[in-house]
Amino acid sequence: MSEKKKRTGSFTLTLRRLFGMKEKETDILKEEQMQSPFRTIVRNYVENKVAMFGLIVFILIFATVFIGSAIWPLDVNYQDLTQQNVSPGFNMMSIPSGLKNNAQDVSVGSIFAVGVDRDGKLYQWGKLTDKLKKMPDDSQTYVQVSAGLDHAIALTSEGKVVTWGNDRLGLANIPFEVKDATDIKQILAGYQMSFVVTESGNLYYWGNENALTISVDPELQGNIDKVVVNLTTAFVLTKDQRVVMLSNSTTPFANIPEEIQGNVIDIAANDRAVAAVTEDGQVHVWGTNDYGLFDVPEAAQGTTAALAGGRFHFTALTTDNTVVSWGNDIYGQASAPHLTDAASIEAGYFQSYAIDADGHLTGWGLKGYLFGTDHYGRDVAMRMLAGGRMTMTIGAIAVIISTIIGVIVGGISGYYGGWVDNLLMRFAEIVMSLPFLPLAIVLSAIVGNRLSELGRISMIMVILGLLSWPSLARLIRAQVLSAREQEYVTAAKAMGIREFTLIFRHILPNVITVVIVNTTLAFASCLLTESSLSFIGFGVIEPSPTWGNMLNSAQSSDVIANYWWRWVFPSIALSLAVISINLIGDGMRDAIDPKSNER
Amino acid sequence: MAKYLIKRFLYMIFVFFIVSILMFAITKAVPGDPALKMVNPNLASTDPARYQIALEEARESLGLDQPLPIQYIKWMGNTLTGNFGFSIQYKKPVIDVVGTPMLNTVALNLFSLILVFAITIPLGIISAVKKRSVFDQAVQVGSIIGYSLPVFVTAFVFIFLFALKLPIFPISGTATPGSDYTGLAKFGDYMYHMALPLIVSTFCSLGGILRYVRAAMIDALREDYIRTARAKGLREKVVIYSHAFRNALIPIVTIITSWFVSIFGGSVVIESIFLWNGLGNTLLSALRNLDSALYMAMMMFYVVITLLGNLLMDIAYCIADPRVKLQ
Repeated sequence: MSEKKKRTGSFTLTLRRLFGMKEKETDILKEEQMQSPFRTIVRNYVENKVAMFGLIVFILIFATVFIGSAIWPLDVNYQDLTQQNVSPGFNMMSIPSGLKNNAQDVSVGSIFAVGVDRDGKLYQWGKLTDKLKKMPDDSQTYVQVSAGLDHAIALTSEGKVVTWGNDRLGLANIPFEVKDATDIKQILAGYQMSFVVTESGNLYYWGNENALTISVDPELQGNIDKVVVNLTTAFVLTKDQRVVMLSNSTTPFANIPEEIQGNVIDIAANDRAVAAVTEDGQVHVWGTNDYGLFDVPEAAQGTTAALAGGRFHFTALTTDNTVVSWGNDIYGQASAPHLTDAASIEAGYFQSYAIDADGHLTGWGLKGYLFGTDHYGRDVAMRMLAGGRMTMTIGAIAVIISTIIGVIVGGISGYYGGWVDNLLMRFAEIVMSLPFLPLAIVLSAIVGNRLSELGRISMIMVILGLLSWPSLARLIRAQVLSAREQEYVTAAKAMGIREFTLIFRHILPNVITVVIVNTTLAFASCLLTESSLSFIGFGVIEPSPTWGNMLNSAQSSDVIANYWWRWVFPSIALSLAVISINLIGDGMRDAIDPKSNER
Repeated sequence: MAKYLIKRFLYMIFVFFIVSILMFAITKAVPGDPALKMVNPNLASTDPARYQIALEEARESLGLDQPLPIQYIKWMGNTLTGNFGFSIQYKKPVIDVVGTPMLNTVALNLFSLILVFAITIPLGIISAVKKRSVFDQAVQVGSIIGYSLPVFVTAFVFIFLFALKLPIFPISGTATPGSDYTGLAKFGDYMYHMALPLIVSTFCSLGGILRYVRAAMIDALREDYIRTARAKGLREKVVIYSHAFRNALIPIVTIITSWFVSIFGGSVVIESIFLWNGLGNTLLSALRNLDSALYMAMMMFYVVITLLGNLLMDIAYCIADPRVKLQ
């Protein structure tokens, strides 16, 4: 018991000492006792505000990067073409207040959404392009809206279709049949395509026909009830409750179950699978079973009344007016809220919306990206976490390699002197005279091409480590040379201590401060070198992120000017990390050798 | 001194050969057969026998059929006699490829060197004289930030501010495309294009050199002769600019010397961002296209430059400070 008490006592004492706090004042004699050099250093360091600031910033960055990337692991191969260059901010689900409690119809586009209220007024929210901001004439009353990748269409109460947003690729060329039609039933904006279904059962479509190669059997025209699309194909629900795919392909989408034909009341498609609900409320899913799309939740099975599909998820409206979502849930789009009076549902891309009987609109799913996305639609913030971990790991391991070599070479060289010293120092000079960045580039260009990703990353660590040890070795050598002549070494020698023990137990602790300071500063320069290498494309290459190679793709004036979030955030992170490490190193040097501050 | 120089020179030659063997070995480790690039690949399907003969001939002309040591000796012999080989990327002898880039790199770095020292010397002196003042501390923190900022981050910020938001300077290249200026107008256009890379490379060098100048000046100010000068009743200006600064110049001169040599090196990052047609950019494109003759020649050039730089620094130290004896 008493032993335990003693141990905790000594532990707190160590802690107090570590952080340079004063020990309890006992008596005047004790206070006048000398401080250990280590405590002096810590105290000097803590008193240096700039250095402490650097330490705190670095700890914050380090913790964020390592804890963050552990909590949200990055799928390095993930790409999403529909989410390219999204600006930072969480406004993708900020529903306009006018629509919030008075919604009639909403539709989700790639990074924006459109809605129409019960008075026929149009609203849109989210990330709007300049073309999308030019909304159509608001003197009309609208009844239906639909949003696509970067365009939207709306149906007026007079039965006219209007389109806005992207007007290229033939999206603005509304066919004459549609312009003349007065009985439009459904409008749908898809991936660079627009679709219209009339009450008479005809389907018309226009837009980029290369994006979606579909054809409608003439026999089908006049029998179409509803159309759904994803990025690769389109399906129609016929008036006799059959599901027909509009493109000839052998993809898993074509495996429409036979038993549901003639019995389907609603269909929905996402980019992995298609779902259909039959009259008995059973949901049938076919396509590719990713993200658990085939596992229809029990709450929906047998009670489903309507379906909607996003990009990788489905949302179902049940007969007792609740909503159920399943599928990919990385942005919470499959975590449906508990609703009891939902009247209609809508899903698209990474969001779902439900409108209840009073017109109250509820949404769930992707709100936006903290630091935006890059040109492949990858979340910049997530890549910064993983990239920071990669950058710091490479820097740390490179520094450890160079420190180990430097300490061993410098220690041996300084302690033994003579021809060993001469040989090792000549060798160090040869390594020093290798031009660093060019050689690193040559090595990673030539050797790196044959290696796997992990091999390449390890190779960069080793190159950095192997080329940066000589300056440390020289420093250690000088320190050991001077330490060798000190009395305590002579005393230790006289006591017959083994050489190994002498070097590592007696001399090394006396030069360790120099090693620590140098290692810190070398860590900063390793971060810089790795980033520079990755930046010019010879370090870590895509898809693995580092702070350096995230900036590689930002090397055009278009990106620098328009997609500022792609370079500003990684730049800030990298700069802050290097500055804080340099501040720490500088502060430590001042703390260890107060005279250096005088200089 | 002469003895030291000869010793040093012999040592340089030794290092040069070691590094050249290393470089040669690395290049030979490159996967792929350069001879394949010289033979028309269509021949393989139409006439396999002749393709094989053509391949053999190509190998022979490149000297690839000989054992590695002989290949090395041949290459070294050619390099030492000024024949650096043929660049497959530019279809020109290497010596003709590197001429213009070297001029561009030297021009950029020379102006940058002048600017850096024109800024850092006065700033360093003031901050050393007013040691521990607010000004000095601001300079200290500023210089840490300055040398911590990655070159490409600085470059992005300057491009964003001075080429895109305020379109003052051109972003890249060395001349306005399609222009046919002559004489002074051509030089003006050249300088106009150099502005941004020059500003960035100057900005990035400020921090490190500033700290160096400050430290040299503080050391000089602590010497006994400064105390003597003050004791004599000299004006503070005379003490600082005549007595202290002249002595602080000794370490500064040495660092200028080492820099002077690295002028030829060129910054890979700055040149690739601003598409400045310099040596760094040439090395990068040679590596991307696996143009071995070109990058080998450039690597050897870099090694010679580094070795010369070290030697020159020693000599400069010796000349600037007669107390230093080279052994």
